[in-house]
Amino acid sequence: MNARPLMRLSFTTAPVEEIGLTPHGTLSIFPITGGSFEGERLRGTVLGGADWVTAAADGTRELDLRVTLETDDGALIHMTFTGVRDDANHYFRTLPRFETAAPKYAFLNRLLAVGVGEGHRDGPIHTIEEIL
Amino acid sequence: MNMRLLMTLRVTIATPQNIAAVPHGTRRTVPITGGDFDGPWLRGSVLPGGSGDWLLLRADGVLELDFRATLRTDDGALISMRSFGLRHGPPEVMEALARGEAVDPAAYYFRTTPRFETSHPKYAFLNRRITVATGDRRAEGPVYTIHELH
Repeated sequence: MNARPLMRLSFTTAPVEEIGLTPHGTLSIFPITGGSFEGERLRGTVLGGADWVTAAADGTRELDLRVTLETDDGALIHMTFTGVRDDANHYFRTLPRFETAAPKYAFLNRLLAVGVGEGHRDGPIHTIEEIL
Repeated sequence: MNMRLLMTLRVTIATPQNIAAVPHGTRRTVPITGGDFDGPWLRGSVLPGGSGDWLLLRADGVLELDFRATLRTDDGALISMRSFGLRHGPPEVMEALARGEAVDPAAYYFRTTPRFETSHPKYAFLNRRITVATGDRRAEGPVYTIHELH
């Protein structure tokens, strides 16, 4: 299984919205207020979005993120990921997907990707690679 | 990216059901009749009941895969597997695949992202794993080589 770097993506977040215990677990919504991304093939800023995080009884958190990216040449990219974050085991992995109408970035519509996340005080940083 | 082999999964398929043109593309459902899997930590068989692959051919020529299967390990645990995937390649390669011909899997892109759910303590680690698979579309059914990210 081969992969190649796609981008490094950082988010800034607003205070969490704690929904609390729901039938699926404890739901927390992390608003994403901005950020930036950079890779060999694309770079730009994060317009905003949020991550819907559900904590399971076993302590792991299921991530469900949606954000809009804007490239430095003005293309908009809809990005989502699901993922798992298990801080006790230093496991923070995601499966990003992209949708765009911009021909220059249409390659994003056709690839699957994996991400390794790191928690930082200012917001998470994701290192995303394309699955080749 | 650190990965290690989780399992090789082979499924057998029945005649596809062509739902045909729908608002998002061309839809086809492929029932899964059985199969088997094996890897360093688990092995067993694929149950036919809730298993299938729901395919959607998009306007840009990319096939979206929505694969679901129930796995039963050799020691009796049931594991639900769901996997989103993409398949695309040069038109002549995709046509050869459609005719059921043997095609080198390196000639096209066939990747999926399996997630697993189980209540069995021995296999609970699967609930917390992100995995990726490479597919090989053979006439008798696809073969998936699944790696876990760690």
